[in-house]
Amino acid sequence: MTLDTYNAAHSARRRADEHWSRRRDLERQLHDGPALRIAALALRLGLLAQKARCDVGGLPHDIEELQNQLHLIQQELRAVADRIYPPLLHEAGLGPALRELASNASLRVDADGGRFDPAVEGVAYFAVLAVLAALQPATRTVDVVIRRDADGLALDVGNVDTGQIGAVRDRVQWVGGVAEVRGGLIGTIKVRIPCE
Amino acid sequence: MRVALADDGALFRNGLVLLLEAAGHEVVGCTADGDTLVELLTTEPADVAILDIKMPPEPDGGLSTAERLRADHPELGLLFLSHYAETHYLLRVLHIGTEAIGYRLKEKVGSVEVLSDTLTRIRDGEIVIEPVLAQRLVERPSSSRRDMLATLSEREMDVLRLMSEGRSNAGIANLLFVAAKSIEKHISSIFLKLGLPSDAAEQHRRVLAVLTFLRSAQEIG
Repeated sequence: MTLDTYNAAHSARRRADEHWSRRRDLERQLHDGPALRIAALALRLGLLAQKARCDVGGLPHDIEELQNQLHLIQQELRAVADRIYPPLLHEAGLGPALRELASNASLRVDADGGRFDPAVEGVAYFAVLAVLAALQPATRTVDVVIRRDADGLALDVGNVDTGQIGAVRDRVQWVGGVAEVRGGLIGTIKVRIPCE
Repeated sequence: MRVALADDGALFRNGLVLLLEAAGHEVVGCTADGDTLVELLTTEPADVAILDIKMPPEPDGGLSTAERLRADHPELGLLFLSHYAETHYLLRVLHIGTEAIGYRLKEKVGSVEVLSDTLTRIRDGEIVIEPVLAQRLVERPSSSRRDMLATLSEREMDVLRLMSEGRSNAGIANLLFVAAKSIEKHISSIFLKLGLPSDAAEQHRRVLAVLTFLRSAQEIG
């Protein structure tokens, strides 16, 4: 029986690793393919506008409008990429990726710069995102503390609605993590995820 | 203007060379990585170097290349072009320098006018920051600096926003349809309200004001 449980946990973790690595690869594919092509296309349109600069039929203006559309497509691709796997999470880790959200949410991030595998960083990032999404915007400053200790990831999300514990637990259990509440309705959600 | 560039994406690199030439600039070097560009620029003088942030040497070749270039050629302007509009990279760019430096999105420099304007301002010593990035930082400052910024008037916020895009006083005056003198008054008031030291040089205080403003959205240092 013990052996069966052990294997199930391992297999769940393997599936989680595959899932998050695939998400990271998908983001990469978006960047290396369509995003770069669109950026190059914007330049070619600029060249066309330069050739058509004496056109009296408004061609340069139409071309500029097309370039604006390309910029909007790029912004949409960036938003999709962030929902799949934020490129900054992959490049620089949890601290910088969460700090980037500080421009959209009131958030203080204290991170020691430790790195974890893609599944752990992905699960932790989207768990914090879920907690932030449940808050009224700009009502309080959320405190996030990220540490790498001997057991793995220690993540504290403070000054939040602790009713979100269920959503956090659902996410972190996938990679063998645990979550608990300290404080009352507004308090701290503490997450621990074991890492090798 | 003499321009050198490095980007590992051939499609974008070639498009950029064509557009630079159409704008009347001389492309003195075009490489797929940072190391080759550094080597090339030891013999070939240039006014501005255009760098992709994510290129070899990995991981952020544009940033490490820029640090070497700034040390070797302090006069050389640096323009970062990236697919990513992240404050994380903006702050790293500003650590390399706050003069003759720029960070713009790849798809936003696709016209002769914008490209030349960006390059000219950088060559002349200004900071050029992608407006969507500057805008995002102004609108959502985080709580710790919010109090300080909240004391600024609406007009002072407009001025600070334009300063963070690297505009000169004359440029700001033009955009806001007011005299340069009143912009100077606004800026003194901004310096005062942000508590910037009055003994520092004007340019230095300007950079500090912009950094205060940028850091208000991101807790760093």
